Amino acid sequence: MIGLFTEEFALRALVAALAVGAAAPVVGGFLVQRRLSLIGDGIGHLAFAGVALGILAGVAPVWGALAVALLGAAALERLRARGRLAGDLSLALVFYAGIALGAVVLSALDRFDGSVLGVLFGSLYATSWSETWLMVALCAVVVALALLFYRELFVVALDEETARASGLPVDSLNLLLVALTALLVTAGMRAVGLLLVASLLVVPVAAGSRLAHSFRGTLGWGVVMGVLSTVGGLVAALLVGTLTPGATIVLASILLFVGATVGGRRAARRHRPVVRS
Amino acid sequence: MSVSGTAPTVELSGVRFGYGPSPVLDGADLVLHPGDFVVLSGPNGSGKSTLLRLCLGLLRPQAGTVRVLGSSPRDPEVLRRIGYAPQGFRGASSLPVSVTEVVAAGLVPGKPLLGRMPRGGRRSVSAALEAVGLGDLSAECLFELSGGQQQRAVLARAMVGDPPLLLLDEPTTGIDQSLRPAFVAELSRRAERGVTIIAVSHDPDDFHEAVERILLIDGGRIRSLTHDEFHDHLEIRP
Repeated sequence: MIGLFTEEFALRALVAALAVGAAAPVVGGFLVQRRLSLIGDGIGHLAFAGVALGILAGVAPVWGALAVALLGAAALERLRARGRLAGDLSLALVFYAGIALGAVVLSALDRFDGSVLGVLFGSLYATSWSETWLMVALCAVVVALALLFYRELFVVALDEETARASGLPVDSLNLLLVALTALLVTAGMRAVGLLLVASLLVVPVAAGSRLAHSFRGTLGWGVVMGVLSTVGGLVAALLVGTLTPGATIVLASILLFVGATVGGRRAARRHRPVVRS
Repeated sequence: MSVSGTAPTVELSGVRFGYGPSPVLDGADLVLHPGDFVVLSGPNGSGKSTLLRLCLGLLRPQAGTVRVLGSSPRDPEVLRRIGYAPQGFRGASSLPVSVTEVVAAGLVPGKPLLGRMPRGGRRSVSAALEAVGLGDLSAECLFELSGGQQQRAVLARAMVGDPPLLLLDEPTTGIDQSLRPAFVAELSRRAERGVTIIAVSHDPDDFHEAVERILLIDGGRIRSLTHDEFHDHLEIRP
């Protein structure tokens, strides 16, 4: 298998995929616990509009995606905090607006071509070393901030009202969480694409939750599942040669989730807590 | 064991609050000192939980003043010194969370942002778990436990930082009758050490041995009753 990564493009793809695979579950755990699993999708759709606006403004697409993802994430969080994003309708409107705006701007610029597929579904093989290191740096910042504020983010994820009643700066911590999500979505854009990146926030964490009895354990298992998904999916794509790695990575994570669910049930049968009233 | 010579821990003066046109609390007055242990009772919708939420700064009075630990309850420094236990675990249950993690969460507000957890944090968590009889379930997932066990974990979270004020919403609900006296005795020991405790309860008899005064919210105001007076009130207005 090591022979697969002797080519430089494959090595770059591995480095980028590993970074996103390891970082995404660290943020995803807090999102899933708070039932915000779809917010990564919303930010991903907005980032597509950011890519188009970046091209329109004459800057690299990644910076356009980052700027719009961060602004969009802050706006989504404000709507959620004010109770205006309670239903899935508001989030759906954001999805459609982001994708449609991106498509309109790109087609107006005559840039609605094959490269759009790379933005939506990833283009791991086409990343340069500078793009790869940017992804690694974004992922490192995300993990470092998530670990730095781990306990505070956990208390808010556990019970927002009690966190507020205990004097924690809940609004600032919520903004931090969506900002980390925006950074991660931007980092994962080249790896698995804006349509699929949110799956790496959610599926490895869901798989980890089948094997753990604690939040910390779930995050740990989630990182393991994220790394296995990205390496497994990339290896599958390289071996077959014609498959797009972004999609194989996501399918690998789904397979791991199914495996963890079956394995977790067996483990649960062996481990039953003492439930007394 | 009230220490009435000291500054009040909780002070409500002429508080008015309502969710609609008719107020839930109207001219509510209350003064509690360090060591006061009271039960707050009243029918559904009488304003018991509202009073706790006012003390936690989650609601603002429409008239009157609320002061907690000598300051506004919207001051984060004040809130960090309050132990609050809602009725049951009210947070999200999407992912597994261990009992230890839930209780240790009670120490987080007391530490500086980006700072380390307080020394002896693990010992405090263990002691809080033992106090509510959950010592042997510390590693279990909270959501695999019974409602009563979850309630005890929430109580341990409120008590773990040894806060000078405990606000407990229906703390004995879901807890086995046989375990209630030990839990109430634990609260009494804390009150003797100067902790002020407000326990919202539909069943003040659970606290008969520990509490002399029952605070009844009646017509928007707070009345202080003995156990006998409270039962007389129930007979008049069942």
